[in-house]
Amino acid sequence: MTGRRRIVTAALCGAVGLALLAGVGSAAHKANPVTLTVGFGQDVDTFLPATGVLVIDYEIWNLQYATLTDKAAGDFKTIPGLASSWKSSNHGKTWTYTLRPNLKWSDGQPLTSADVAYTINRARAEAWLNYTSTVGSIKAFAPNPRTVVLRSSVPDPKLPTMDVYIIPKHVYAKVSKKGLTKYTAQDGVGSGPFTLEKYVKGQYIRMKANPNYWGGKPAIDQIVFRLFTNEDAKVFALKKGEIDAAQDVPASAFTDLAKVKGIVTVQGQQGGFDELGLNTYAGKPLRDTSKFGAPNPALKDLRFRQAIAHSIDKAAIVSRAYNGIGTPADALSPAANPEWTPKIPAAQRYDFNLDKAKKLLDQGGYKDSDGNGIRNLPGGGKDIVLRYLVRSESVYSAPTAQFITSWLKQIGIGTKISVFNDTQLTSEIGKGAYDMFVWGWTPFVDPDPELSYFKCDQVAVDAKDFTNYYNDASWCDPVYDKLYAQQHVELNHAKRVAIVHQMLTRMYRFAGYNIIEYSPDLQAYRTDRFTGWLRQPANTGPVIFSNTSPSYASLEPIKQSKAAMAPGGIAGGVLLLLLGCFVAVGGGLGRDGDARRVPARSASRRS
Amino acid sequence: MTALAGGKTPSARRITWIRRRRAFAGAWRDYRASTPGLIGLGVLVVIVIGSLAAPLLANHDNLDPSKTLTTPLWASPSQLSPLGTDNLGRPIWDQLVYGSRVSLLVGLAATVIAMVIGSVVGVVAGFYDGWPSAVLMRVTEWFLVIPFLPLAIVLASILGPNVRNVIIVIGITSWPGTARVIRAQVLTVKQRLYVERSRALGAADRHLMLRHIVPNVSPLILANTTLTVPIAILSETTLSFLGLGDPLRASWGRMLDEAFSNGAIGKNAWWYYLPPGIGIVLVVLAFTLVGHALEEVLDPRLRERRS
Repeated sequence: MTGRRRIVTAALCGAVGLALLAGVGSAAHKANPVTLTVGFGQDVDTFLPATGVLVIDYEIWNLQYATLTDKAAGDFKTIPGLASSWKSSNHGKTWTYTLRPNLKWSDGQPLTSADVAYTINRARAEAWLNYTSTVGSIKAFAPNPRTVVLRSSVPDPKLPTMDVYIIPKHVYAKVSKKGLTKYTAQDGVGSGPFTLEKYVKGQYIRMKANPNYWGGKPAIDQIVFRLFTNEDAKVFALKKGEIDAAQDVPASAFTDLAKVKGIVTVQGQQGGFDELGLNTYAGKPLRDTSKFGAPNPALKDLRFRQAIAHSIDKAAIVSRAYNGIGTPADALSPAANPEWTPKIPAAQRYDFNLDKAKKLLDQGGYKDSDGNGIRNLPGGGKDIVLRYLVRSESVYSAPTAQFITSWLKQIGIGTKISVFNDTQLTSEIGKGAYDMFVWGWTPFVDPDPELSYFKCDQVAVDAKDFTNYYNDASWCDPVYDKLYAQQHVELNHAKRVAIVHQMLTRMYRFAGYNIIEYSPDLQAYRTDRFTGWLRQPANTGPVIFSNTSPSYASLEPIKQSKAAMAPGGIAGGVLLLLLGCFVAVGGGLGRDGDARRVPARSASRRS
Repeated sequence: MTALAGGKTPSARRITWIRRRRAFAGAWRDYRASTPGLIGLGVLVVIVIGSLAAPLLANHDNLDPSKTLTTPLWASPSQLSPLGTDNLGRPIWDQLVYGSRVSLLVGLAATVIAMVIGSVVGVVAGFYDGWPSAVLMRVTEWFLVIPFLPLAIVLASILGPNVRNVIIVIGITSWPGTARVIRAQVLTVKQRLYVERSRALGAADRHLMLRHIVPNVSPLILANTTLTVPIAILSETTLSFLGLGDPLRASWGRMLDEAFSNGAIGKNAWWYYLPPGIGIVLVVLAFTLVGHALEEVLDPRLRERRS
């Protein structure tokens, strides 16, 4: 196989080399498209804004779809987007937005208030997973093409911010509710700075500049998101200049990369975290148990969960498995701003203490009745062996699993490990036939969406489409739901923060969703080809894969010196290319062609 | 014939044993003449003793990252002898020693499975004409035609990753070559005169197969076994490297996998990937040398060609 590939490579190289040599004269006049290449490590699960959950999906939507209101790069402040101005009436329950003049979709169709109203009303009517926490109580009207009226049935602290992705009515009107689950959403019609041009599964996503973008056509012509299945390859590609920026730089390479000249490394803080989620489904809400898996019965016991919480040494995981990057965590961080995360009082914290964990298990009646080193369910039941799902798309997942399984073993709990990629993991968790997993989230600016994921109605109950739910701890707590509803309509900021703290402390005490660490996004970019990288929020946030990804539209190519464009430069390029071919043919391209597992950092913004 | 020169006539069983002992002594003499064979055997003995004596040579606790919290991460051999540490601070030496157990266990156990299946299929397909032979050989060809790696990957991901399943997967994917070789040999053996005579005297198929055919092809089985072990060990490495090995037990393949996915190559942490790599090369080479030396000793056709 390698032999044949080498021949093909050789032939290709020869052909390309000749063509280039022949074209040296004319090629100098033809401008190549200005291309930004970004290396990432987690393939898209769907391009459909209604249901996708991975950070890469959000990155694509941030580029492809404009929102009614935008967010400032520096501080997330609500700024004009598709709407240039807005005003409120009826005690903040009604908001009237005025759209910019002459808005157009990338395919030339006019973008009017009908598109906006269509998106919001359809998302609410069909309860689209990613839209409901924002538009669930809002009705949209389009009295004239440039006016949108939003009427909320309850006071909504999030308004006037309306950051849902507006989709083109003329495309989506043809897709029925049923058809939507199968719609690939690769139509490429958008209103953002870039639109999808080509997607090759497992390889790359290419986006082209949208000439009709309301902010003006971006300075770069296209963006290529290149999927890397190996972390080392991604780092080398960045060092060599094959890619201009890299998302999910492995922690082990991060500190070394910071020393390379011409490369800037970024620890982007935007509230992301990694958690150990336990399956705590306890019969509520009702679902057809014959179609779903069930958690280990021990997980329904608070003492058992507390024992697990006491046996996780978060500091050790951060310092060893995460190379010391990140902060050991207590409560869930629901938003980019740390003010929303409660401090857990020392007396209530589940500190690392294996003896305490063992004592809790003894008290709960979990004795090793058959003497094989693994505790049994009370009354001499089965061995307690928890099914642990490990992510293949993260370099941290397997090492973390080694630590956790070791501690659990020491307190007498067995584990059975199985490995999944992120797309599979979503449905495995939905099916409910698991006991624990480690994954991550990157929250939004407002805590509401992240908080909404742990409501009872987000526990999967429809066995036909279990991917359509977020609650991956299958946790259902009526008090939490009640508090959620309170903060959802609380207009007083301080009061709202207090309610959110109460919810998250409650969640912490429940010990079903153990936050391991607050994890920064590790990124790096080259400074030789583009300027204008924006951190969101300023100084502390990431440059790419941020909340609204403002970098791309602000990037400008650095003018190459004239000499580089002269024929001499191109001839040199040909020489380099031939040399590259020589290396590629001789070395069999270096990397093996087998499909490798895809390591990447927290998939996060699964939201 | 000296043993027979004495006054008492030994029993038939004793004669057989004397003959076997002599044959073995002769085979060992022939084997000793092969330098590569001796080198291979020496290396194997060292590695097998090392893996059996693992608890004396290494500390099993050091395989558990939660028990090595004080060692530096990515320490080079000069910082932490003898072989440095990995991305989680676990000493490489302990992983290497304990990893040899998994690699050898999988290699040997999978080979036993492959040999049992291969020999049974080969002997039966060679002994019987007609449809049993045809059916068995079509099955064999089917396994030969399917590329090994995809089949093994599919099986491993269906069965789930643990040592037992890896053994099964490798065992049931590496027998067809043996089956064909054995069948060819059975085809020639069963034409020999003494087999015909035995049959004329009324021997049943079972007797013929077990007493006449199998003993005559067993040298071939043995030689094939030693040549299948290295392939099985390499297969284990391959599956582990692809993430289909047992995620909770150190093996050489898994060490390579972890070194690769954690960026050891980018960090120039040669002490992470070279020891398991060299270990695999040595074991595979040793088994191959022993296998070839044995083949020359045991296979009459090769011996004739040599003399």
